[in-house]
Amino acid sequence: MTKRLLAPLVGITVFLALWEGFVRVFEVRKFILRTPSTALHHLWVFRADFLSAAGTTVQHTLVGLLIALTVSLLLGAALSANRFAEWAMQPVLTLIQVVPWVAYVSSVVVWLGAGNPPAYFMVGLGCTPAFVFATVDGMRGADPSTLELMASVDASRWEVLRRVRLPSAAPSLFTASRFNFGFALAISFYVEGANFSNEGIGAIGRRAASQASSADALWASVFAMAILGFVGLILISVIERKVLHWHASQRVRPT
Amino acid sequence: MSRIVLQDLTKSFGELAIVDPLSLQIESGSFVSLIGPSGCGKTTLMRVIAGLETASAGEVTLDGEPPRSARANKRVAMVPQQPGLLPWRTVHSNARLLLDVHRSANPADAVDPSELLHEVGLGGFLDAYPHELSGGMQQRVALVRALTLHAPLLVMDEPFAALDEITRAEMRHILNRLVEGRGVTVLFVTHSIAEAVALSDRVLVSSPRPSRVVADIAVDLPRPRAAEVEDDPRFVELCAQVRHALHGAMRR
Repeated sequence: MTKRLLAPLVGITVFLALWEGFVRVFEVRKFILRTPSTALHHLWVFRADFLSAAGTTVQHTLVGLLIALTVSLLLGAALSANRFAEWAMQPVLTLIQVVPWVAYVSSVVVWLGAGNPPAYFMVGLGCTPAFVFATVDGMRGADPSTLELMASVDASRWEVLRRVRLPSAAPSLFTASRFNFGFALAISFYVEGANFSNEGIGAIGRRAASQASSADALWASVFAMAILGFVGLILISVIERKVLHWHASQRVRPT
Repeated sequence: MSRIVLQDLTKSFGELAIVDPLSLQIESGSFVSLIGPSGCGKTTLMRVIAGLETASAGEVTLDGEPPRSARANKRVAMVPQQPGLLPWRTVHSNARLLLDVHRSANPADAVDPSELLHEVGLGGFLDAYPHELSGGMQQRVALVRALTLHAPLLVMDEPFAALDEITRAEMRHILNRLVEGRGVTVLFVTHSIAEAVALSDRVLVSSPRPSRVVADIAVDLPRPRAAEVEDDPRFVELCAQVRHALHGAMRR
Protein backbone atom coordinates (compact mmCIF):
# COMPACT_ATOMS: atom_id res chain seq x y z
CA MET A 1 0.00 0.00 0.00
CA THR A 2 2.86 2.37 0.85
CA LYS A 3 4.38 1.65 -2.55
CA ARG A 4 1.03 2.36 -4.17
CA LEU A 5 0.90 5.82 -2.58
CA LEU A 6 4.58 6.50 -3.12
CA ALA A 7 4.69 5.60 -6.81
CA PRO A 8 2.50 8.48 -8.14
CA LEU A 9 4.36 10.96 -5.92
CA VAL A 10 7.69 9.76 -7.30
CA GLY A 11 6.31 10.00 -10.85
CA ILE A 12 5.08 13.58 -10.36
CA THR A 13 8.25 14.74 -8.60
CA VAL A 14 10.46 13.33 -11.36
CA PHE A 15 8.26 14.93 -14.04
CA LEU A 16 8.34 18.37 -12.35
CA ALA A 17 12.09 18.12 -11.74
CA LEU A 18 12.69 17.33 -15.44
CA TRP A 19 10.45 20.24 -16.46
CA GLU A 20 12.22 22.63 -14.08
CA GLY A 21 15.63 21.44 -15.28
CA PHE A 22 14.65 21.71 -18.96
CA VAL A 23 13.47 25.35 -18.63
CA ARG A 24 16.55 26.36 -16.61
CA VAL A 25 19.19 24.49 -18.61
CA PHE A 26 17.84 25.55 -22.02
CA GLU A 27 16.88 29.02 -20.74
CA VAL A 28 13.41 28.77 -22.28
CA ARG A 29 11.88 32.22 -22.59
CA LYS A 30 9.31 33.09 -19.90
CA PHE A 31 6.41 33.76 -22.25
CA ILE A 32 6.82 30.30 -23.81
CA LEU A 33 7.11 28.17 -20.66
CA ARG A 34 7.36 28.93 -16.95
CA THR A 35 9.15 26.73 -14.43
CA PRO A 36 6.87 24.72 -12.14
CA SER A 37 8.53 26.38 -9.13
CA THR A 38 7.37 29.83 -10.34
CA ALA A 39 3.79 28.60 -10.74
CA LEU A 40 3.83 26.81 -7.39
CA HIS A 41 5.29 29.91 -5.72
CA HIS A 42 2.45 32.04 -7.14
CA LEU A 43 -0.07 29.42 -6.01
CA TRP A 44 1.34 29.55 -2.48
CA VAL A 45 1.38 33.37 -2.30
CA PHE A 46 -2.25 33.64 -3.45
CA ARG A 47 -3.39 30.47 -1.70
CA ALA A 48 -6.42 32.10 -0.05
CA ASP A 49 -7.80 33.23 -3.45
CA PHE A 50 -7.10 29.86 -5.02
CA LEU A 51 -8.63 27.97 -2.12
CA SER A 52 -11.84 29.93 -2.38
CA ALA A 53 -11.92 29.54 -6.18
CA ALA A 54 -11.21 25.81 -5.82
CA GLY A 55 -14.33 25.49 -3.64
CA THR A 56 -16.44 26.90 -6.49
CA THR A 57 -14.77 24.70 -9.12
CA VAL A 58 -15.21 21.57 -7.00
CA GLN A 59 -18.87 22.47 -6.48
CA HIS A 60 -19.41 22.88 -10.23
CA THR A 61 -17.64 19.59 -10.89
CA LEU A 62 -19.43 17.50 -8.26
CA VAL A 63 -22.94 18.88 -8.87
CA GLY A 64 -22.46 18.45 -12.64
CA LEU A 65 -21.20 14.88 -12.17
CA LEU A 66 -24.13 14.06 -9.90
CA ILE A 67 -26.58 15.37 -12.50
CA ALA A 68 -24.81 13.38 -15.25
CA LEU A 69 -24.79 10.20 -13.15
CA THR A 70 -28.48 10.47 -12.26
CA VAL A 71 -29.53 11.11 -15.86
CA SER A 72 -27.22 8.35 -17.11
CA LEU A 73 -28.53 5.70 -14.72
CA LEU A 74 -32.11 6.40 -15.77
CA LEU A 75 -31.26 6.64 -19.45
CA GLY A 76 -28.82 3.70 -19.34
CA ALA A 77 -31.37 1.45 -17.63
CA ALA A 78 -33.91 2.28 -20.33
CA LEU A 79 -31.42 1.83 -23.18
CA SER A 80 -30.06 -1.47 -21.84
CA ALA A 81 -33.59 -2.86 -22.08
CA ASN A 82 -34.17 -1.69 -25.64
CA ARG A 83 -31.66 -2.19 -28.46
CA PHE A 84 -33.52 0.11 -30.87
CA ALA A 85 -33.53 2.97 -28.37
CA GLU A 86 -29.82 2.37 -27.73
CA TRP A 87 -28.98 2.52 -31.43
CA ALA A 88 -31.13 5.64 -31.79
CA MET A 89 -29.36 7.37 -28.88
CA GLN A 90 -25.79 6.47 -29.87
CA PRO A 91 -25.34 9.22 -32.50
CA VAL A 92 -26.86 11.81 -30.14
CA LEU A 93 -24.45 10.86 -27.35
CA THR A 94 -21.51 10.91 -29.76
CA LEU A 95 -22.62 14.33 -30.99
CA ILE A 96 -22.62 15.65 -27.41
CA GLN A 97 -19.07 14.34 -27.01
CA VAL A 98 -17.63 15.76 -30.22
CA VAL A 99 -19.28 19.20 -30.53
CA PRO A 100 -16.79 21.74 -29.10
CA TRP A 101 -18.01 23.53 -25.95
CA VAL A 102 -17.20 26.86 -27.52
CA ALA A 103 -20.00 26.24 -30.05
CA TYR A 104 -22.75 26.45 -27.49
CA VAL A 105 -21.38 27.84 -24.21
CA SER A 106 -22.56 31.41 -25.05
CA SER A 107 -26.10 30.17 -25.76
CA VAL A 108 -26.13 28.25 -22.48
CA VAL A 109 -24.96 31.32 -20.52
CA VAL A 110 -27.59 33.51 -22.21
CA TRP A 111 -30.22 30.86 -21.51
CA LEU A 112 -29.33 30.07 -17.87
CA GLY A 113 -27.66 33.34 -16.87
CA ALA A 114 -24.20 33.91 -15.39
CA GLY A 115 -23.07 31.97 -12.31
CA ASN A 116 -23.45 28.33 -11.32
CA PRO A 117 -26.30 27.03 -13.56
CA PRO A 118 -24.39 27.08 -16.88
CA ALA A 119 -21.47 25.26 -15.23
CA TYR A 120 -23.77 22.57 -13.79
CA PHE A 121 -25.49 22.18 -17.15
CA MET A 122 -22.31 22.00 -19.24
CA VAL A 123 -20.59 19.53 -16.87
CA GLY A 124 -23.76 17.44 -16.63
CA LEU A 125 -24.19 17.34 -20.39
CA GLY A 126 -20.52 16.68 -21.17
CA CYS A 127 -20.21 13.81 -18.69
CA THR A 128 -23.46 12.07 -19.58
CA PRO A 129 -22.29 10.10 -22.68
CA ALA A 130 -19.45 8.24 -20.92
CA PHE A 131 -21.70 7.40 -17.96
CA VAL A 132 -24.49 6.20 -20.28
CA PHE A 133 -22.14 3.96 -22.28
CA ALA A 134 -20.75 2.52 -19.03
CA THR A 135 -24.23 1.92 -17.59
CA VAL A 136 -25.52 0.18 -20.73
CA ASP A 137 -22.41 -2.01 -21.09
CA GLY A 138 -22.35 -2.92 -17.40
CA MET A 139 -26.05 -3.74 -17.21
CA ARG A 140 -25.90 -5.81 -20.39
CA GLY A 141 -22.90 -7.70 -19.01
CA ALA A 142 -24.83 -9.09 -16.03
CA ASP A 143 -24.29 -12.87 -15.58
CA PRO A 144 -26.86 -14.73 -17.77
CA SER A 145 -27.08 -17.55 -15.18
CA THR A 146 -28.17 -15.07 -12.53
CA LEU A 147 -30.66 -13.42 -14.88
CA GLU A 148 -32.16 -16.82 -15.68
CA LEU A 149 -32.34 -17.58 -11.99
CA MET A 150 -34.18 -14.31 -11.33
CA ALA A 151 -36.60 -15.18 -14.14
CA SER A 152 -37.17 -18.62 -12.58
CA VAL A 153 -38.84 -16.96 -9.56
CA ASP A 154 -40.64 -14.34 -11.63
CA ALA A 155 -38.57 -11.43 -10.25
CA SER A 156 -39.84 -8.07 -11.46
CA ARG A 157 -37.82 -5.86 -13.83
CA TRP A 158 -37.17 -3.46 -10.96
CA GLU A 159 -35.82 -6.26 -8.76
CA VAL A 160 -33.54 -7.49 -11.54
CA LEU A 161 -32.35 -3.94 -12.15
CA ARG A 162 -31.70 -3.19 -8.48
CA ARG A 163 -30.24 -6.51 -7.39
CA VAL A 164 -28.36 -7.67 -10.49
CA ARG A 165 -27.99 -5.19 -13.35
CA LEU A 166 -27.10 -2.07 -11.38
CA PRO A 167 -24.37 -3.70 -9.22
CA SER A 168 -23.04 -5.37 -12.39
CA ALA A 169 -22.60 -1.89 -13.90
CA ALA A 170 -20.63 -0.60 -10.90
CA PRO A 171 -17.13 -1.56 -12.22
CA SER A 172 -17.64 0.15 -15.59
CA LEU A 173 -19.20 3.18 -13.85
CA PHE A 174 -16.07 3.57 -11.74
CA THR A 175 -13.91 3.41 -14.86
CA ALA A 176 -16.10 6.10 -16.45
CA SER A 177 -15.86 8.15 -13.24
CA ARG A 178 -12.08 8.28 -13.50
CA PHE A 179 -12.35 9.64 -17.03
CA ASN A 180 -15.32 11.91 -16.28
CA PHE A 181 -13.78 13.49 -13.19
CA GLY A 182 -10.93 15.01 -15.19
CA PHE A 183 -13.33 15.88 -17.99
CA ALA A 184 -15.73 17.57 -15.55
CA LEU A 185 -12.87 19.66 -14.07
CA ALA A 186 -11.85 20.77 -17.55
CA ILE A 187 -15.43 21.76 -18.44
CA SER A 188 -15.84 23.63 -15.12
CA PHE A 189 -12.60 25.55 -15.78
CA TYR A 190 -13.75 26.41 -19.29
CA VAL A 191 -17.28 27.52 -18.32
CA GLU A 192 -16.02 29.57 -15.36
CA GLY A 193 -13.84 31.44 -17.81
CA ALA A 194 -16.77 32.06 -20.12
CA ASN A 195 -19.74 32.80 -17.88
CA PHE A 196 -18.74 36.26 -16.59
CA SER A 197 -19.25 35.34 -12.94
CA ASN A 198 -15.60 35.83 -11.87
CA GLU A 199 -15.78 32.78 -9.63
CA GLY A 200 -13.81 29.55 -9.77
CA ILE A 201 -10.29 28.72 -10.91
CA GLY A 202 -11.41 29.11 -14.53
CA ALA A 203 -12.19 32.78 -13.88
CA ILE A 204 -8.66 33.31 -12.51
CA GLY A 205 -7.30 31.57 -15.59
CA ARG A 206 -9.37 33.72 -17.95
CA ARG A 207 -8.30 36.97 -16.25
CA ALA A 208 -4.67 35.90 -16.33
CA ALA A 209 -4.84 34.83 -19.97
CA SER A 210 -6.15 38.25 -20.97
CA GLN A 211 -3.18 40.02 -19.35
CA ALA A 212 0.27 39.26 -20.72
CA SER A 213 1.86 40.11 -17.34
CA SER A 214 -0.16 37.45 -15.49
CA ALA A 215 1.33 34.30 -16.96
CA ASP A 216 2.34 33.19 -13.44
CA ALA A 217 -1.32 33.28 -12.39
CA LEU A 218 -2.33 31.34 -15.51
CA TRP A 219 0.21 28.59 -14.79
CA ALA A 220 -0.77 28.63 -11.11
CA SER A 221 -4.40 28.05 -12.12
CA VAL A 222 -3.26 25.11 -14.27
CA PHE A 223 -1.39 23.65 -11.30
CA ALA A 224 -4.39 24.20 -9.03
CA MET A 225 -6.53 22.22 -11.49
CA ALA A 226 -3.92 19.48 -11.65
CA ILE A 227 -3.89 19.20 -7.86
CA LEU A 228 -7.71 18.97 -7.80
CA GLY A 229 -7.59 16.26 -10.45
CA PHE A 230 -4.95 14.31 -8.54
CA VAL A 231 -6.82 14.50 -5.23
CA GLY A 232 -10.09 13.56 -6.97
CA LEU A 233 -8.57 10.47 -8.56
CA ILE A 234 -7.15 9.35 -5.22
CA LEU A 235 -10.59 9.76 -3.62
CA ILE A 236 -12.25 7.80 -6.44
CA SER A 237 -9.67 5.01 -5.99
CA VAL A 238 -10.33 4.85 -2.25
CA ILE A 239 -14.12 4.72 -2.76
CA GLU A 240 -13.71 2.13 -5.54
CA ARG A 241 -11.60 -0.06 -3.28
CA LYS A 242 -14.31 0.05 -0.61
CA VAL A 243 -17.31 -0.41 -2.90
CA LEU A 244 -15.80 -2.92 -5.34
CA HIS A 245 -13.91 -5.03 -2.79
CA TRP A 246 -15.58 -8.08 -4.37
CA HIS A 247 -14.45 -7.31 -7.91
CA ALA A 248 -11.45 -8.98 -9.58
CA SER A 249 -9.93 -5.56 -10.41
CA GLN A 250 -9.46 -4.94 -6.69
CA ARG A 251 -8.01 -8.34 -5.93
CA VAL A 252 -5.53 -9.23 -8.63
CA ARG A 253 -2.01 -8.20 -7.78
CA PRO A 254 0.32 -7.82 -10.77
CA THR A 255 3.25 -10.21 -10.49
CA MET B 1 -44.21 -32.81 -4.01
CA SER B 2 -45.01 -32.30 -7.63
CA ARG B 3 -46.38 -34.67 -10.28
CA ILE B 4 -45.24 -33.72 -13.76
CA VAL B 5 -47.27 -34.61 -16.83
CA LEU B 6 -46.11 -33.96 -20.40
CA GLN B 7 -48.74 -34.57 -23.08
CA ASP B 8 -47.61 -34.58 -26.74
CA LEU B 9 -45.12 -31.83 -25.97
CA THR B 10 -43.15 -30.38 -28.88
CA LYS B 11 -40.73 -27.51 -29.03
CA SER B 12 -39.13 -25.95 -32.07
CA PHE B 13 -37.29 -22.74 -32.87
CA GLY B 14 -38.56 -21.75 -36.31
CA GLU B 15 -37.96 -24.72 -38.60
CA LEU B 16 -35.62 -26.39 -36.13
CA ALA B 17 -37.36 -29.13 -34.15
CA ILE B 18 -35.86 -29.44 -30.66
CA VAL B 19 -38.29 -31.77 -28.91
CA ASP B 20 -40.36 -34.36 -30.81
CA PRO B 21 -43.85 -35.12 -29.54
CA LEU B 22 -43.16 -36.33 -26.01
CA SER B 23 -45.56 -37.76 -23.45
CA LEU B 24 -44.27 -38.54 -20.00
CA GLN B 25 -45.36 -38.77 -16.40
CA ILE B 26 -43.08 -38.22 -13.45
CA GLU B 27 -44.36 -39.19 -10.03
CA SER B 28 -44.18 -36.89 -7.05
CA GLY B 29 -41.06 -37.18 -4.96
CA SER B 30 -39.06 -39.07 -7.55
CA PHE B 31 -35.59 -38.22 -8.79
CA VAL B 32 -35.45 -38.39 -12.59
CA SER B 33 -32.35 -37.82 -14.68
CA LEU B 34 -32.33 -36.96 -18.35
CA ILE B 35 -29.16 -38.03 -20.11
CA GLY B 36 -28.28 -37.53 -23.76
CA PRO B 37 -25.68 -36.22 -26.19
CA SER B 38 -24.74 -32.52 -26.28
CA GLY B 39 -27.21 -30.32 -28.11
CA CYS B 40 -30.00 -32.89 -28.03
CA GLY B 41 -32.47 -30.45 -26.46
CA LYS B 42 -32.29 -31.52 -22.80
CA THR B 43 -31.86 -28.00 -21.51
CA THR B 44 -34.68 -26.68 -23.71
CA LEU B 45 -36.97 -29.40 -22.38
CA MET B 46 -36.06 -28.46 -18.80
CA ARG B 47 -36.69 -24.78 -19.56
CA VAL B 48 -40.15 -25.64 -20.91
CA ILE B 49 -40.96 -27.66 -17.79
CA ALA B 50 -39.65 -24.84 -15.56
CA GLY B 51 -41.87 -22.33 -17.39
CA LEU B 52 -38.99 -20.35 -18.88
CA GLU B 53 -39.94 -21.34 -22.46
CA THR B 54 -43.35 -22.00 -23.91
CA ALA B 55 -44.09 -25.31 -25.66
CA SER B 56 -44.75 -25.11 -29.40
CA ALA B 57 -47.55 -27.64 -29.00
CA GLY B 58 -48.85 -30.05 -26.37
CA GLU B 59 -49.16 -29.50 -22.67
CA VAL B 60 -47.11 -29.58 -19.48
CA THR B 61 -48.65 -29.54 -16.03
CA LEU B 62 -47.03 -29.53 -12.61
CA ASP B 63 -49.60 -30.85 -10.15
CA GLY B 64 -52.24 -29.75 -12.62
CA GLU B 65 -50.80 -26.24 -12.82
CA PRO B 66 -49.22 -24.72 -15.98
CA PRO B 67 -45.44 -24.17 -15.60
CA ARG B 68 -45.63 -20.36 -15.86
CA SER B 69 -48.04 -20.18 -12.99
CA ALA B 70 -45.95 -22.67 -10.94
CA ARG B 71 -42.90 -20.50 -11.59
CA ALA B 72 -44.73 -17.33 -10.55
CA ASN B 73 -45.79 -19.08 -7.32
CA LYS B 74 -42.18 -20.14 -6.59
CA ARG B 75 -43.10 -23.81 -6.91
CA VAL B 76 -40.10 -24.49 -9.16
CA ALA B 77 -36.51 -24.06 -7.93
CA MET B 78 -33.60 -24.06 -10.38
CA VAL B 79 -29.95 -24.93 -10.07
CA PRO B 80 -28.19 -23.73 -13.25
CA GLN B 81 -24.99 -25.10 -14.77
CA GLN B 82 -23.00 -22.11 -13.52
CA PRO B 83 -23.64 -21.26 -9.86
CA GLY B 84 -24.63 -17.70 -10.84
CA LEU B 85 -23.72 -16.33 -7.40
CA LEU B 86 -23.69 -12.54 -7.04
CA PRO B 87 -20.06 -11.62 -6.31
CA TRP B 88 -21.02 -8.63 -4.14
CA ARG B 89 -23.18 -10.77 -1.83
CA THR B 90 -21.87 -12.97 0.97
CA VAL B 91 -22.52 -16.72 1.00
CA HIS B 92 -25.47 -16.31 3.36
CA SER B 93 -26.88 -13.42 1.39
CA ASN B 94 -26.53 -15.36 -1.88
CA ALA B 95 -28.24 -18.37 -0.32
CA ARG B 96 -31.29 -16.26 0.47
CA LEU B 97 -31.40 -14.38 -2.87
CA LEU B 98 -34.49 -16.20 -4.15
CA LEU B 99 -36.29 -15.42 -0.90
CA ASP B 100 -35.36 -11.74 -1.18
CA VAL B 101 -37.05 -11.26 -4.55
CA HIS B 102 -40.75 -11.55 -5.33
CA ARG B 103 -41.38 -11.94 -1.60
CA SER B 104 -45.14 -12.11 -1.91
CA ALA B 105 -44.78 -15.63 -3.38
CA ASN B 106 -42.51 -16.91 -0.57
CA PRO B 107 -43.80 -20.13 0.97
CA ALA B 108 -44.75 -20.11 4.63
CA ASP B 109 -42.36 -23.01 5.22
CA ALA B 110 -39.28 -21.47 3.56
CA VAL B 111 -36.11 -23.06 4.89
CA ASP B 112 -33.55 -21.11 6.91
CA PRO B 113 -30.46 -20.78 4.64
CA SER B 114 -28.06 -20.82 7.63
CA GLU B 115 -29.33 -24.22 8.67
CA LEU B 116 -28.88 -25.64 5.16
CA LEU B 117 -25.46 -24.03 4.75
CA HIS B 118 -24.36 -25.75 7.96
CA GLU B 119 -25.79 -29.00 6.61
CA VAL B 120 -23.66 -28.80 3.46
CA GLY B 121 -20.52 -27.95 5.44
CA LEU B 122 -20.46 -24.21 4.77
CA GLY B 123 -21.29 -23.13 8.32
CA GLY B 124 -17.91 -21.47 8.66
CA PHE B 125 -18.28 -19.49 5.44
CA LEU B 126 -21.52 -17.59 5.96
CA ASP B 127 -19.80 -14.20 5.63
CA ALA B 128 -17.36 -15.22 2.88
CA TYR B 129 -17.68 -13.92 -0.68
CA PRO B 130 -18.01 -16.22 -3.71
CA HIS B 131 -14.44 -15.54 -4.91
CA GLU B 132 -13.18 -16.98 -1.63
CA LEU B 133 -14.85 -20.35 -2.33
CA SER B 134 -13.86 -23.33 -4.50
CA GLY B 135 -16.07 -24.37 -7.44
CA GLY B 136 -17.65 -27.16 -5.41
CA MET B 137 -18.40 -24.84 -2.50
CA GLN B 138 -19.99 -22.31 -4.87
CA GLN B 139 -22.21 -25.02 -6.33
CA ARG B 140 -23.21 -26.06 -2.79
CA VAL B 141 -24.37 -22.47 -2.16
CA ALA B 142 -26.36 -22.62 -5.42
CA LEU B 143 -27.98 -25.85 -4.23
CA VAL B 144 -28.86 -24.35 -0.86
CA ARG B 145 -30.24 -21.25 -2.60
CA ALA B 146 -32.67 -23.46 -4.52
CA LEU B 147 -33.65 -25.58 -1.50
CA THR B 148 -34.48 -22.56 0.69
CA LEU B 149 -37.62 -22.06 -1.44
CA HIS B 150 -38.93 -25.43 -0.29
CA ALA B 151 -40.34 -25.76 -3.82
CA PRO B 152 -41.94 -29.10 -4.72
CA LEU B 153 -39.96 -29.28 -7.99
CA LEU B 154 -36.20 -28.90 -8.28
CA VAL B 155 -34.82 -28.49 -11.82
CA MET B 156 -31.06 -28.99 -12.14
CA ASP B 157 -29.29 -28.38 -15.43
CA GLU B 158 -25.88 -30.10 -15.42
CA PRO B 159 -25.05 -28.43 -12.12
CA PHE B 160 -21.82 -30.38 -11.58
CA ALA B 161 -20.53 -30.26 -15.16
CA ALA B 162 -17.74 -27.78 -14.42
CA LEU B 163 -16.42 -29.64 -11.38
CA ASP B 164 -13.56 -32.12 -11.14
CA GLU B 165 -14.39 -35.80 -10.67
CA ILE B 166 -13.62 -35.95 -6.93
CA THR B 167 -15.74 -32.87 -6.15
CA ARG B 168 -18.46 -34.20 -8.44
CA ALA B 169 -18.63 -37.47 -6.51
CA GLU B 170 -18.79 -35.53 -3.25
CA MET B 171 -21.56 -33.31 -4.64
CA ARG B 172 -23.79 -36.24 -5.62
CA HIS B 173 -23.62 -37.61 -2.10
CA ILE B 174 -24.48 -34.21 -0.67
CA LEU B 175 -27.39 -33.93 -3.11
CA ASN B 176 -28.68 -37.40 -2.28
CA ARG B 177 -28.54 -36.58 1.43
CA LEU B 178 -30.36 -33.28 0.93
CA VAL B 179 -33.23 -34.48 -1.23
CA GLU B 180 -33.87 -37.90 0.31
CA GLY B 181 -36.70 -37.59 2.79
CA ARG B 182 -37.60 -34.05 1.72
CA GLY B 183 -40.22 -35.30 -0.74
CA VAL B 184 -39.04 -33.00 -3.48
CA THR B 185 -39.38 -34.04 -7.14
CA VAL B 186 -36.07 -33.60 -8.96
CA LEU B 187 -35.42 -33.27 -12.69
CA PHE B 188 -31.72 -33.57 -13.31
CA VAL B 189 -29.93 -33.05 -16.64
CA THR B 190 -26.52 -34.64 -16.91
CA HIS B 191 -23.89 -36.07 -19.25
CA SER B 192 -22.54 -38.42 -16.61
CA ILE B 193 -23.87 -41.98 -16.53
CA ALA B 194 -22.52 -42.64 -13.01
CA GLU B 195 -24.10 -39.43 -11.76
CA ALA B 196 -27.47 -40.30 -13.28
CA VAL B 197 -27.50 -43.81 -11.79
CA ALA B 198 -26.18 -42.80 -8.36
CA LEU B 199 -28.81 -40.12 -7.92
CA SER B 200 -31.94 -41.24 -9.74
CA ASP B 201 -35.01 -43.38 -9.37
CA ARG B 202 -35.41 -43.23 -13.17
CA VAL B 203 -32.98 -42.44 -15.97
CA LEU B 204 -34.45 -41.15 -19.23
CA VAL B 205 -32.14 -41.52 -22.20
CA SER B 206 -32.62 -38.95 -24.95
CA SER B 207 -31.88 -39.31 -28.67
CA PRO B 208 -29.86 -36.66 -30.53
CA ARG B 209 -31.96 -33.62 -31.58
CA PRO B 210 -34.92 -33.60 -31.91
CA SER B 211 -35.11 -34.99 -28.41
CA ARG B 212 -37.04 -38.24 -27.90
CA VAL B 213 -36.91 -40.50 -24.87
CA VAL B 214 -35.48 -43.75 -26.25
CA ALA B 215 -35.07 -45.57 -22.93
CA ASP B 216 -36.66 -45.24 -19.52
CA ILE B 217 -34.55 -47.16 -17.01
CA ALA B 218 -35.73 -47.72 -13.44
CA VAL B 219 -32.93 -47.55 -10.86
CA ASP B 220 -33.74 -50.01 -8.09
CA LEU B 221 -30.79 -49.25 -5.81
CA PRO B 222 -31.87 -48.94 -2.17
CA ARG B 223 -32.24 -45.58 -0.43
CA PRO B 224 -30.74 -43.85 1.43
CA ARG B 225 -27.77 -44.14 -0.89
CA ALA B 226 -24.34 -43.92 0.63
CA ALA B 227 -21.14 -43.32 -1.34
CA GLU B 228 -20.51 -47.08 -1.31
CA VAL B 229 -23.49 -47.68 -3.59
CA GLU B 230 -21.12 -47.05 -6.50
CA ASP B 231 -19.21 -50.24 -5.58
CA ASP B 232 -22.41 -52.30 -5.77
CA PRO B 233 -22.47 -54.75 -8.73
CA ARG B 234 -26.06 -53.64 -9.46
CA PHE B 235 -24.80 -50.05 -9.84
CA VAL B 236 -22.23 -51.20 -12.41
CA GLU B 237 -24.90 -53.23 -14.20
CA LEU B 238 -27.28 -50.23 -14.36
CA CYS B 239 -24.48 -47.98 -15.65
CA ALA B 240 -23.85 -50.49 -18.45
CA GLN B 241 -27.56 -50.55 -19.27
CA VAL B 242 -27.69 -46.74 -19.54
CA ARG B 243 -24.48 -46.69 -21.59
CA HIS B 244 -25.87 -49.24 -24.09
CA ALA B 245 -29.12 -47.26 -24.39
CA LEU B 246 -27.14 -44.09 -24.97
CA HIS B 247 -24.97 -45.70 -27.64
CA GLY B 248 -28.10 -47.13 -29.24
CA ALA B 249 -29.66 -43.66 -29.30
CA MET B 250 -26.55 -42.23 -30.97
CA ARG B 251 -26.66 -44.85 -33.74
CA ARG B 252 -30.31 -44.16 -34.64
